[in-house]
Amino acid sequence: MNVSSAERLFRWFQRTRVGRSVFRVGLPQSNLERAQAMVSSFLLHGQPVKVSRHALRPTTTLGLGLISLYLFFILIGTGVLLMFYYVPSTTHAYAVMKDLQYVVSAGLIVRNMHRWAAHLMVLFVMLHLCRVFYTAAYKPPREFNWVIGTGLFLVTLGLSFTGYLLPWDQLAFWAITVGTNIAGYAPVVGPKLQFLMLGGYTVGQEALTRFYALHVIVLPAVAVLGISVHLFRVRKDGGLARPDEATNTVQQLDVAQLPTNKSYGLMELARGTTPQVGLDPADEVFAWPNLIFRELLLLLATIAVVLFLAIFWNAPLEELANAIHPPNPAKAPWYFLGLQELVSYSAFWGGVVVPGLLVAGLVLLPYLDRQRRGVGRWFAPERRLATTLFSLGLVVAIVLTIIGSVFRGPNWSWQNPLKQSATQGEGH
Amino acid sequence: MNPAPPNGELSRRSFFQLSLGWLAGLFAVGATGTAAVRFLVPNVLYEPSQRFKLGRAEDYADGSVTFLEDERVFLIRQGNTFRCLSAVCTHLGCTVNRAGQGYHCPCHGSAFDHEGTVKSGPAPRGLEWFAVTLSRDSRLQVDKGLRVAADKYLVL
Repeated sequence: MNVSSAERLFRWFQRTRVGRSVFRVGLPQSNLERAQAMVSSFLLHGQPVKVSRHALRPTTTLGLGLISLYLFFILIGTGVLLMFYYVPSTTHAYAVMKDLQYVVSAGLIVRNMHRWAAHLMVLFVMLHLCRVFYTAAYKPPREFNWVIGTGLFLVTLGLSFTGYLLPWDQLAFWAITVGTNIAGYAPVVGPKLQFLMLGGYTVGQEALTRFYALHVIVLPAVAVLGISVHLFRVRKDGGLARPDEATNTVQQLDVAQLPTNKSYGLMELARGTTPQVGLDPADEVFAWPNLIFRELLLLLATIAVVLFLAIFWNAPLEELANAIHPPNPAKAPWYFLGLQELVSYSAFWGGVVVPGLLVAGLVLLPYLDRQRRGVGRWFAPERRLATTLFSLGLVVAIVLTIIGSVFRGPNWSWQNPLKQSATQGEGH
Repeated sequence: MNPAPPNGELSRRSFFQLSLGWLAGLFAVGATGTAAVRFLVPNVLYEPSQRFKLGRAEDYADGSVTFLEDERVFLIRQGNTFRCLSAVCTHLGCTVNRAGQGYHCPCHGSAFDHEGTVKSGPAPRGLEWFAVTLSRDSRLQVDKGLRVAADKYLVL
């Protein structure tokens, strides 16, 4: 076997007294050690010892959830770095942006990475949601994890939206003005909610302070907690949804129905959804190294793509925020442009009814969908109706977003995106 | 814990213990929750005041429409009457511009006539009118917190 120098270095370290105290299991040689490595390491123990081959296939999930998680890591890393310079003040924030651009070493790259990773995270969380729908991975016992996932989707939007204001340039100021005004259309609580969000009636210092606190601590804390529960439940619900799950797991025992004059062994009371139960052992492989190295490779790829984007495309920064001169047109961030397009027809229907129904529909979906088959398969034929309805909604959302993004010019009137591309600048 | 009465009903002592426990718990959660939400509602705003003084009546020519940048309002004089029209679009809060006799929002294309009523575009309501009064030192005074109908004038 070809032993790399990195491996030789690790083996040497592991033989020293210090090394043994750090890594209790060395590089696994046997199946026993492969199992021990997974359960004895803090970083690895959240993952199973063995995984099904189905879970390892790239087409099962396309890695969308994992990529979202990695983007979140990148956002925490770059975000903490940005915090060392950023001041949430209407008179200083914009100057810090300029410093990051021209004065701070690698400041431009760090800000670019943060910006692109944020946009990508919104995109990949949406794609992950679509994947889970199309593979029917939200069906029992995973209904509640879908609800948590929907919550995390909203938290992601909140994180991106609150971060949008912080550069305090024209783009930030007017996107938040337009965005919070949409929130103001909510019935009964709308104006109060808008006042609470802004800490006043207009986007000013109080709004910046509030958005900053939400952006750097409140929402990240909620996200970390939510992601932890989300991942924990993936494990507890038996790993990734598999097509053979329904046939290969034992029926869950109803303990209350068992006669009380008999004592039972633990194995007879075990719940039926652990990935091992009733499965052919040949279908499973050890997580070390099969899963772990695939995950590390994906992490590397995600960082590489974000770095690539950050090197070649700069995050937009317009002139200093000016409350008197709105840009024409003033646009919300791209993920709210479909909503803004709807609001341009009717504020109440577009700003309140449609998003309200959308969120309620997403949350209730696993409880409304009674069909039990099709789990773990893309576009299962049994679910043709569900797939069609969801796809229709998705197409409408995409079309509205594209219209709002590129087909709407000054005065929110129609424009030819090819003719206007010179004046509109890079994508926001 | 106390042994439950044989008929399975709640004993007096358990009842009081449970009531006290629930009341204390609900009070703790309710009080801290209310305090936290109330904490977030600002009592003092450091924004430009909703009520502000302008110049004297003679500073504004007859038939003029003056845009006041910082306050985002138009002061309109017709003869001896003064009115104040909001420059904030009722759609999504952009600042409207004068266009001919009416007003036009550059963000999403809402158009308003000279009375502030919607002619076209997504704006759900006409522009707001604010109360104009005369201050003690005989200057014009506008209160953006006091919305009035379009036909309310300050007559001098």
